[in-house]
Amino acid sequence: MANRVEIRTTSSALIAMIADEDTITGFLLAGVGNVDLRRKTNYLIVDSKTTVKQIEDAFKEFTTREDVAIVLISQYVANMIRFLVDSYNKPIPAILEIPSKDHPYDPAHDSVLSRVKYLFSTESVASGRR
Amino acid sequence: MESSKNGRESNEEISEKDENILSFLDSMDTYLTLMDSLSSTLRQGWLELASARHSMGASRINSTLLDLKFHRASTTLQVNEQSAGPDRELPHFTLRKWASSNNPEKNFEEAKFGEDELLKIKSNSLRRRDTSQSSEIQARSPESVGTPVSVDDLAQRERSKSLSMFGTLVSPKLRASQVSFETGTVATLFI
Repeated sequence: MANRVEIRTTSSALIAMIADEDTITGFLLAGVGNVDLRRKTNYLIVDSKTTVKQIEDAFKEFTTREDVAIVLISQYVANMIRFLVDSYNKPIPAILEIPSKDHPYDPAHDSVLSRVKYLFSTESVASGRR
Repeated sequence: MESSKNGRESNEEISEKDENILSFLDSMDTYLTLMDSLSSTLRQGWLELASARHSMGASRINSTLLDLKFHRASTTLQVNEQSAGPDRELPHFTLRKWASSNNPEKNFEEAKFGEDELLKIKSNSLRRRDTSQSSEIQARSPESVGTPVSVDDLAQRERSKSLSMFGTLVSPKLRASQVSFETGTVATLFI
Protein backbone atom coordinates (compact mmCIF):
# COMPACT_ATOMS: atom_id res chain seq x y z
CA MET A 1 0.00 0.00 0.00
CA ALA A 2 2.84 2.39 0.82
CA ASN A 3 4.26 2.15 -2.72
CA ARG A 4 0.90 2.24 -4.49
CA VAL A 5 0.98 4.61 -7.45
CA GLU A 6 -2.01 6.87 -7.97
CA ILE A 7 -3.56 6.51 -11.44
CA ARG A 8 -5.46 9.59 -12.54
CA THR A 9 -8.70 8.86 -14.32
CA THR A 10 -9.74 11.10 -17.17
CA SER A 11 -12.40 10.93 -19.85
CA SER A 12 -10.67 12.67 -22.75
CA ALA A 13 -6.93 12.29 -22.53
CA LEU A 14 -4.62 12.97 -25.44
CA ILE A 15 -1.97 11.00 -27.28
CA ALA A 16 1.20 13.10 -27.51
CA MET A 17 3.80 12.48 -30.23
CA ILE A 18 7.47 13.20 -30.73
CA ALA A 19 8.36 11.92 -34.19
CA ASP A 20 9.31 12.80 -37.76
CA GLU A 21 7.09 14.82 -40.08
CA ASP A 22 5.45 11.91 -41.91
CA THR A 23 4.58 10.03 -38.73
CA ILE A 24 3.09 13.15 -37.14
CA THR A 25 1.16 13.96 -40.33
CA GLY A 26 -0.25 10.45 -40.43
CA PHE A 27 -1.38 10.46 -36.83
CA LEU A 28 -2.89 13.93 -37.25
CA LEU A 29 -4.92 12.53 -40.15
CA ALA A 30 -6.16 9.92 -37.68
CA GLY A 31 -7.54 12.75 -35.53
CA VAL A 32 -4.99 12.70 -32.73
CA GLY A 33 -3.84 16.33 -33.07
CA ASN A 34 -4.89 18.89 -30.47
CA VAL A 35 -4.18 22.62 -30.31
CA ASP A 36 -5.24 24.51 -27.20
CA LEU A 37 -6.17 28.16 -26.82
CA ARG A 38 -2.54 29.06 -26.18
CA ARG A 39 -1.60 27.37 -29.46
CA LYS A 40 0.20 24.59 -27.63
CA THR A 41 0.16 21.34 -29.55
CA ASN A 42 0.36 17.75 -28.37
CA TYR A 43 3.12 16.94 -30.85
CA LEU A 44 6.68 17.86 -31.76
CA ILE A 45 7.98 17.37 -35.28
CA VAL A 46 11.63 16.31 -35.16
CA ASP A 47 13.77 17.21 -38.16
CA SER A 48 17.42 17.96 -38.83
CA LYS A 49 17.12 21.38 -37.17
CA THR A 50 15.53 20.12 -33.94
CA THR A 51 17.96 20.22 -31.02
CA VAL A 52 18.28 17.61 -28.29
CA LYS A 53 17.26 20.28 -25.76
CA GLN A 54 13.98 20.86 -27.62
CA ILE A 55 13.28 17.12 -27.62
CA GLU A 56 14.07 16.88 -23.90
CA ASP A 57 11.84 19.84 -23.11
CA ALA A 58 8.98 18.38 -25.16
CA PHE A 59 9.37 14.99 -23.45
CA LYS A 60 9.36 16.57 -20.01
CA GLU A 61 6.35 18.71 -20.90
CA PHE A 62 4.28 15.83 -22.30
CA THR A 63 5.09 13.52 -19.40
CA THR A 64 4.00 16.13 -16.86
CA ARG A 65 0.82 17.28 -18.61
CA GLU A 66 -2.31 16.01 -16.89
CA ASP A 67 -4.28 15.68 -20.13
CA VAL A 68 -1.80 13.32 -21.84
CA ALA A 69 -2.24 9.55 -21.41
CA ILE A 70 0.18 8.10 -23.97
CA VAL A 71 3.39 9.55 -25.43
CA LEU A 72 4.44 8.08 -28.76
CA ILE A 73 8.11 8.68 -29.50
CA SER A 74 10.11 7.46 -32.47
CA GLN A 75 12.79 5.04 -31.38
CA TYR A 76 15.61 7.00 -33.02
CA VAL A 77 14.42 10.16 -31.19
CA ALA A 78 14.20 8.22 -27.92
CA ASN A 79 17.82 7.15 -28.46
CA MET A 80 18.82 10.85 -28.42
CA ILE A 81 17.32 11.24 -24.94
CA ARG A 82 17.81 7.62 -23.82
CA PHE A 83 18.76 8.51 -20.26
CA LEU A 84 15.59 10.54 -19.80
CA VAL A 85 13.35 7.85 -21.34
CA ASP A 86 14.89 4.99 -19.35
CA SER A 87 14.66 6.87 -16.08
CA TYR A 88 10.95 7.55 -16.59
CA ASN A 89 8.88 5.10 -14.53
CA LYS A 90 5.33 6.44 -14.12
CA PRO A 91 2.35 4.44 -15.44
CA ILE A 92 0.62 7.53 -16.89
CA PRO A 93 1.39 8.87 -19.35
CA ALA A 94 2.60 5.58 -20.85
CA ILE A 95 5.61 5.85 -23.16
CA LEU A 96 5.68 3.84 -26.36
CA GLU A 97 8.64 3.79 -28.72
CA ILE A 98 7.55 3.40 -32.31
CA PRO A 99 9.54 2.85 -35.50
CA SER A 100 10.08 5.66 -37.95
CA LYS A 101 10.19 5.75 -41.73
CA ASP A 102 13.97 5.97 -41.96
CA HIS A 103 14.80 3.95 -38.83
CA PRO A 104 13.04 0.58 -38.55
CA TYR A 105 12.24 -0.90 -35.16
CA ASP A 106 15.34 -2.23 -33.39
CA PRO A 107 14.58 -4.61 -30.47
CA ALA A 108 18.11 -4.06 -29.12
CA HIS A 109 17.27 -0.45 -28.30
CA ASP A 110 13.72 -0.96 -27.03
CA SER A 111 13.51 0.20 -23.41
CA VAL A 112 10.94 -2.46 -22.46
CA LEU A 113 13.09 -5.29 -23.81
CA SER A 114 16.21 -3.79 -22.23
CA ARG A 115 14.54 -3.98 -18.85
CA VAL A 116 13.50 -7.58 -19.51
CA LYS A 117 17.05 -8.47 -20.52
CA TYR A 118 18.40 -6.82 -17.40
CA LEU A 119 15.84 -8.65 -15.26
CA PHE A 120 16.74 -12.03 -16.71
CA SER A 121 20.46 -11.40 -16.48
CA THR A 122 20.04 -10.41 -12.81
CA GLU A 123 17.94 -13.53 -12.20
CA SER A 124 20.51 -15.81 -13.84
CA VAL A 125 23.33 -14.22 -11.79
CA ALA A 126 21.30 -14.63 -8.60
CA SER A 127 20.44 -18.26 -9.35
CA GLY A 128 24.08 -18.96 -10.28
CA ARG A 129 25.19 -17.68 -6.89
CA ARG A 130 22.73 -20.02 -5.18
CA MET B 1 6.53 -35.72 7.86
CA GLU B 2 7.61 -32.14 8.35
CA SER B 3 10.20 -32.37 5.57
CA SER B 4 7.72 -33.91 3.07
CA LYS B 5 5.21 -31.11 3.87
CA ASN B 6 7.96 -28.51 3.30
CA GLY B 7 8.96 -30.34 0.10
CA ARG B 8 5.36 -30.19 -1.20
CA GLU B 9 5.09 -26.49 -0.39
CA SER B 10 8.35 -25.68 -2.16
CA ASN B 11 7.18 -27.69 -5.22
CA GLU B 12 4.01 -25.61 -5.24
CA GLU B 13 6.04 -22.41 -4.97
CA ILE B 14 8.29 -23.51 -7.82
CA SER B 15 5.35 -24.40 -10.08
CA GLU B 16 3.71 -21.02 -9.26
CA LYS B 17 6.97 -19.23 -10.15
CA ASP B 18 7.22 -21.26 -13.36
CA GLU B 19 3.67 -20.28 -14.21
CA ASN B 20 4.48 -16.60 -13.62
CA ILE B 21 7.59 -16.81 -15.78
CA LEU B 22 5.66 -18.52 -18.59
CA SER B 23 2.93 -15.89 -18.38
CA PHE B 24 5.58 -13.17 -18.51
CA LEU B 25 7.25 -14.73 -21.57
CA ASP B 26 3.85 -15.02 -23.25
CA SER B 27 3.35 -11.30 -22.65
CA MET B 28 6.74 -10.52 -24.18
CA ASP B 29 5.89 -12.63 -27.22
CA THR B 30 2.60 -10.75 -27.59
CA TYR B 31 4.46 -7.45 -27.26
CA LEU B 32 6.87 -8.37 -30.07
CA THR B 33 4.03 -9.60 -32.29
CA LEU B 34 2.10 -6.37 -31.77
CA MET B 35 5.20 -4.25 -32.41
CA ASP B 36 5.72 -6.12 -35.67
CA SER B 37 2.09 -5.52 -36.60
CA LEU B 38 2.43 -1.82 -35.75
CA SER B 39 5.60 -1.56 -37.85
CA SER B 40 3.91 -3.04 -40.91
CA THR B 41 0.80 -0.85 -40.47
CA LEU B 42 2.91 2.29 -40.17
CA ARG B 43 5.03 1.24 -43.17
CA GLN B 44 1.88 0.94 -45.22
CA GLY B 45 0.75 4.36 -44.00
CA TRP B 46 4.08 5.99 -44.93
CA LEU B 47 3.99 4.39 -48.37
CA GLU B 48 0.46 5.66 -48.99
CA LEU B 49 1.41 9.11 -47.72
CA ALA B 50 4.40 9.16 -50.08
CA SER B 51 2.12 8.10 -52.98
CA ALA B 52 -0.32 10.86 -52.09
CA ARG B 53 2.53 13.38 -51.94
CA HIS B 54 3.70 12.18 -55.35
CA SER B 55 0.27 12.60 -56.93
CA MET B 56 -0.79 15.81 -55.15
CA GLY B 57 2.60 17.49 -55.00
CA ALA B 58 4.99 18.03 -52.09
CA SER B 59 3.71 21.56 -51.47
CA ARG B 60 0.22 20.21 -50.77
CA ILE B 61 1.27 17.68 -48.12
CA ASN B 62 3.75 19.05 -45.62
CA SER B 63 3.95 20.21 -42.06
CA THR B 64 3.42 23.90 -42.89
CA LEU B 65 -0.21 23.12 -43.70
CA LEU B 66 -0.95 21.61 -40.29
CA ASP B 67 -3.81 23.33 -38.54
CA LEU B 68 -2.47 25.53 -35.73
CA LYS B 69 -5.83 27.10 -34.91
CA PHE B 70 -7.52 26.02 -31.72
CA HIS B 71 -9.11 22.59 -32.17
CA ARG B 72 -9.66 19.58 -29.96
CA ALA B 73 -8.45 16.11 -30.82
CA SER B 74 -11.15 13.94 -32.41
CA THR B 75 -9.47 10.77 -31.19
CA THR B 76 -8.91 10.68 -27.44
CA LEU B 77 -8.48 8.19 -24.63
CA GLN B 78 -10.49 7.43 -21.55
CA VAL B 79 -8.27 6.35 -18.67
CA ASN B 80 -9.65 4.34 -15.75
CA GLU B 81 -8.17 2.25 -12.98
CA GLN B 82 -8.39 -1.51 -13.20
CA SER B 83 -7.68 -3.69 -10.22
CA ALA B 84 -4.92 -6.25 -10.83
CA GLY B 85 -4.60 -7.59 -7.30
CA PRO B 86 -4.98 -6.54 -3.68
CA ASP B 87 -2.35 -3.78 -3.80
CA ARG B 88 -1.99 -3.25 -7.52
CA GLU B 89 -3.89 -1.18 -10.01
CA LEU B 90 -3.28 -0.86 -13.71
CA PRO B 91 -4.40 1.93 -16.03
CA HIS B 92 -7.17 0.92 -18.38
CA PHE B 93 -7.39 2.76 -21.72
CA THR B 94 -10.42 3.09 -23.94
CA LEU B 95 -9.96 4.65 -27.37
CA ARG B 96 -12.60 7.11 -28.55
CA LYS B 97 -12.33 7.67 -32.29
CA TRP B 98 -13.78 10.60 -34.19
CA ALA B 99 -15.61 12.36 -31.39
CA SER B 100 -17.39 15.47 -32.58
CA SER B 101 -15.21 18.50 -31.94
CA ASN B 102 -18.39 20.45 -31.12
CA ASN B 103 -19.54 18.01 -28.50
CA PRO B 104 -16.65 15.73 -27.54
CA GLU B 105 -18.48 13.92 -24.75
CA LYS B 106 -21.16 12.56 -27.08
CA ASN B 107 -21.33 11.00 -30.51
CA PHE B 108 -18.00 9.29 -30.56
CA GLU B 109 -17.25 5.97 -32.11
CA GLU B 110 -15.53 3.57 -29.80
CA ALA B 111 -13.42 1.19 -31.80
CA LYS B 112 -15.44 -1.94 -32.45
CA PHE B 113 -14.52 -5.59 -32.81
CA GLY B 114 -15.16 -7.36 -36.04
CA GLU B 115 -13.33 -6.18 -39.14
CA ASP B 116 -10.26 -4.97 -37.27
CA GLU B 117 -7.32 -7.04 -38.57
CA LEU B 118 -5.26 -6.28 -35.54
CA LEU B 119 -7.81 -7.97 -33.29
CA LYS B 120 -7.71 -11.04 -35.55
CA ILE B 121 -3.94 -11.14 -35.15
CA LYS B 122 -4.41 -10.79 -31.41
CA SER B 123 -6.89 -13.65 -31.16
CA ASN B 124 -4.66 -15.94 -33.22
CA SER B 125 -1.37 -15.26 -31.56
CA LEU B 126 -2.21 -14.66 -27.92
CA ARG B 127 -1.32 -17.58 -25.65
CA ARG B 128 -1.52 -15.66 -22.40
CA ARG B 129 -2.36 -17.57 -19.23
CA ASP B 130 -3.04 -14.40 -17.30
CA THR B 131 -6.19 -12.93 -18.81
CA SER B 132 -5.97 -9.52 -17.12
CA GLN B 133 -5.30 -6.72 -19.57
CA SER B 134 -4.33 -3.20 -18.87
CA SER B 135 -5.76 -1.80 -22.08
CA GLU B 136 -8.55 -2.83 -24.38
CA ILE B 137 -10.91 -1.48 -26.95
CA GLN B 138 -14.47 -1.83 -25.77
CA ALA B 139 -17.20 -3.07 -28.05
CA ARG B 140 -20.29 -0.96 -27.88
CA SER B 141 -23.70 -1.93 -29.17
CA PRO B 142 -25.18 0.44 -31.75
CA GLU B 143 -28.25 1.13 -29.61
CA SER B 144 -26.22 2.76 -26.87
CA VAL B 145 -24.74 5.39 -29.18
CA GLY B 146 -27.81 6.09 -31.29
CA THR B 147 -28.33 4.69 -34.75
CA PRO B 148 -25.27 3.16 -36.46
CA VAL B 149 -25.82 5.43 -39.45
CA SER B 150 -25.49 8.65 -37.44
CA VAL B 151 -22.28 7.50 -35.73
CA ASP B 152 -20.75 6.53 -39.08
CA ASP B 153 -21.82 9.84 -40.60
CA LEU B 154 -20.21 11.73 -37.77
CA ALA B 155 -17.03 9.70 -38.07
CA GLN B 156 -16.94 10.40 -41.81
CA ARG B 157 -17.45 14.09 -41.15
CA GLU B 158 -14.56 14.20 -38.69
CA ARG B 159 -12.38 12.22 -41.10
CA SER B 160 -13.13 14.74 -43.84
CA LYS B 161 -12.30 17.57 -41.45
CA SER B 162 -8.87 16.02 -40.81
CA LEU B 163 -8.28 15.63 -44.55
CA SER B 164 -9.43 19.18 -45.29
CA MET B 165 -6.17 20.69 -44.00
CA PHE B 166 -4.65 19.37 -47.24
CA GLY B 167 -7.37 20.77 -49.48
CA THR B 168 -10.87 19.90 -50.62
CA LEU B 169 -9.90 17.38 -53.27
CA VAL B 170 -7.44 14.85 -51.95
CA SER B 171 -5.89 11.76 -53.42
CA PRO B 172 -7.45 8.38 -52.51
CA LYS B 173 -3.97 7.42 -51.33
CA LEU B 174 -4.21 10.09 -48.64
CA ARG B 175 -7.53 8.62 -47.48
CA ALA B 176 -5.93 5.16 -47.44
CA SER B 177 -3.04 6.57 -45.41
CA GLN B 178 -5.55 8.00 -42.95
CA VAL B 179 -7.10 4.55 -42.49
CA SER B 180 -3.66 2.99 -41.99
CA PHE B 181 -2.74 5.47 -39.30
CA GLU B 182 -6.12 4.97 -37.64
CA THR B 183 -5.30 1.26 -37.46
CA GLY B 184 -1.87 2.18 -36.12
CA THR B 185 -3.48 4.22 -33.35
CA VAL B 186 -5.56 1.20 -32.35
CA ALA B 187 -2.41 -0.95 -32.44
CA THR B 188 -0.58 1.36 -30.04
CA LEU B 189 -3.38 0.89 -27.56
CA PHE B 190 -3.02 -2.89 -27.67
CA ILE B 191 0.69 -2.60 -27.08
